[in-house]
Amino acid sequence: MTTPTVTPVGTTLDGLTEDAVRAVAAGEPDWLVDRRLAATKRFLDQAWPDSRTDEFWRSTPFAKRFDTSHPLIAEASSDAAVPTSLVASLELTTAQLRIVDGEVVEASVPAELAALGVVVTDLRTAAEEHADLVRDHLGSLTTSGEGSGADEDRTISVNDAAWTAGAFIHVPAEVELTDPIGVHVHVSRAGAHLPRVLAVLGHHAKATIYLEHTSDEGVDALVDEVVEVIALDAAKVDVVSLHEWAMGVSHLALHKFGAHRDAQVRHSAIVAGGATVRLRPECDLLGPGASVRPLGIYYADEGQWFDLQPYVRHLAPKATSDVLYKGALQGRSRTVFRGNVFVHKDAVGTVTDENNRSLILTEGARADATPFLEIECADITAGHGSATGQIDARHLFYLEARGIPRAQALRMLVHGFFREVLTEIDLPGVEERALAHIERELAATDLDRLGINDAALRDELG
Amino acid sequence: MADLEIRDLTVEVDGSDILRGVDLDLDKGKTIALMGPNGSGKSTLAYAIAGHPAYDITGGTIRWQGTDLVELTPDERARLGVFLAMQYPVEVPGVSLTNFLRTAVNATSGQDVPIREFMQRLRDEMAALDVDESFLQRSVNEGFSGGEKKRFEILQMALLKPQLAVLDETDSGLDVDALKTVSEGVNRLSGPDLGTLIITHYTRILRYIAPDEVHVMFEGRIVASGGPELADELEARGYDHLKTSV
Ligand SMILES: Nc1ncnc2c1ncn2[C@@H]1O[C@H](COP(=O)(O)OP(=O)(O)OP(=O)(O)O)[C@@H](O)[C@H]1O
Ligand SMILES: [Mg+2]
Repeated sequence: MTTPTVTPVGTTLDGLTEDAVRAVAAGEPDWLVDRRLAATKRFLDQAWPDSRTDEFWRSTPFAKRFDTSHPLIAEASSDAAVPTSLVASLELTTAQLRIVDGEVVEASVPAELAALGVVVTDLRTAAEEHADLVRDHLGSLTTSGEGSGADEDRTISVNDAAWTAGAFIHVPAEVELTDPIGVHVHVSRAGAHLPRVLAVLGHHAKATIYLEHTSDEGVDALVDEVVEVIALDAAKVDVVSLHEWAMGVSHLALHKFGAHRDAQVRHSAIVAGGATVRLRPECDLLGPGASVRPLGIYYADEGQWFDLQPYVRHLAPKATSDVLYKGALQGRSRTVFRGNVFVHKDAVGTVTDENNRSLILTEGARADATPFLEIECADITAGHGSATGQIDARHLFYLEARGIPRAQALRMLVHGFFREVLTEIDLPGVEERALAHIERELAATDLDRLGINDAALRDELG
Repeated sequence: MADLEIRDLTVEVDGSDILRGVDLDLDKGKTIALMGPNGSGKSTLAYAIAGHPAYDITGGTIRWQGTDLVELTPDERARLGVFLAMQYPVEVPGVSLTNFLRTAVNATSGQDVPIREFMQRLRDEMAALDVDESFLQRSVNEGFSGGEKKRFEILQMALLKPQLAVLDETDSGLDVDALKTVSEGVNRLSGPDLGTLIITHYTRILRYIAPDEVHVMFEGRIVASGGPELADELEARGYDHLKTSV
């Protein structure tokens, strides 16, 4: 546990009070302060999740993996060396925003995009300059009642109350952006970080957003992040979330989408870093014809715990969802996949599918998978499945018999395992980045402890 | 001493004795055929040569140009020039055929063949074996028909240029034209540097690829050996008389 240091906000997450929230909200418009205070009230009425009783937390011990005694961090240290983000490395003329240690340190929009009305700015600034949009949409997905459960969780209300740094993105109606907008969250100071993102896409707008997460080596931090993305009618939004934390970080993330009529949402999570990542990519399909594609690639190694909970709610007719998460594990690591698809009684013509595949490479790793379907409506097409396996001995032998050494054969098979997801994420730099993570992990795979499934071999012979 | 020298080889699978003392010699430049009823142990011998992990070698030796293969991993054997065209080639989803072939060629040749040169060779060999270019986009064996899989095994053989090729029922599942194409493919590769062991049930393939010797396996042993005429005799008479003579 870290000793609380004095911060400008002067509170720990556990000790959050109305006064502390007022300090965070200093200078904000009244309506926003009021919302924060309402959230604070919810926060104070709630307790942190209890893994013994809370169904959604049963597989991941909250108290063990998340240290809520961290002091709230709201200011970047002046000497923070922030690594280059993927978006920055692409050298595109695009909008970028950077949050370092709970503070927005940079936001830039090239003139071409500004001329189209594209906004990428500090959420606090936006609360003044784009008050109507922010007022309408901020918190609209985290505090919507109707059984979402999102607002019942203290990990959400704490961010609603006390987010310190936020990104606001607005892509006006009918504006189609080709290059990704970059939002980069970096942690260089130990403590609790509460970043927030709100993106609003007008009708028929199109945008890609890369959400990147990095931290300095050896820094212990809890990052509690809430992202809301509103895709109005026929908008198309692609969010890539890169989790590239160093080992000290535990990440709680809600990435919630509202997809209106004919909107198309894709969320691609690449989870490679951090001690603990608990990611909830959620989407409310609010209008007929909306669609969501939650994709995930994850690779857990010694000491890591990834808990992935994609959740789709079909609230309108003829919407589609197709969840695909694939993960590899090695060392003493743990992954949890708890997917859920809810189909409202009025959501006739729903088409949904949900799949999770885990590949356990070495002994000692464990993957839990529970894909759920909650269906109130009969007139739908639904599928779901999960499988956990090891490298197939027949595949390995086939490659080895062609002269390919085991380590390289394994690489090819692991790449092959991820291939179907990788080929689908056809966005600049993303496949390369994912492959780089896979390569780095594979370089650390203990070949002597490789778990090989030779059951199929026996079937074949017997 | 023969290039391939198998002596008193015994192999177990899942605790049962499958090979019960096999002796076999094969020199480079020669082709021998191995026949025998279903379940007699032909594939077991092929897998034992290639180093399949499920086949436990409990006794005897497999020497290839003086090296005992038994102690080597499958990839080491392949890099010594040993190649097995499998009876049931396995589908490897997600692994691109092109990448697989290039990696295998680099691994066995010990050199990094430039991509353009490799692609040229690959295209030439595919054309020779009548394999459509669209296969370049596919995953290894995935969704291939039985005959396509067999053809792809020989394509690999052509690219890897082995010195010892074991063809385990490569002819099964091939139509008349494919059998001809594949046999011609094998013949093109034949020469003083290649020893070939053809496992088959039919004399059909042996009309294209003429064996120097024919051996018959029965219940895990070689029970008869002879010239090409032995194959015709087996085709005419079947294996029944072996049962009485053993
Ligand atoms: N796991 C196993 N347990 C017991 N017996 C096995 C096992 N695997 C293989 N065998 C047996 O080993 C014997 C030899 O099998 P092998 O595949 O070598 O035969 P084969 O001569 O290639 O036959 P075919 O002509 O049908 O291809 C068979 O009787 C087979 O059933
Ligand atoms: Mg066989």
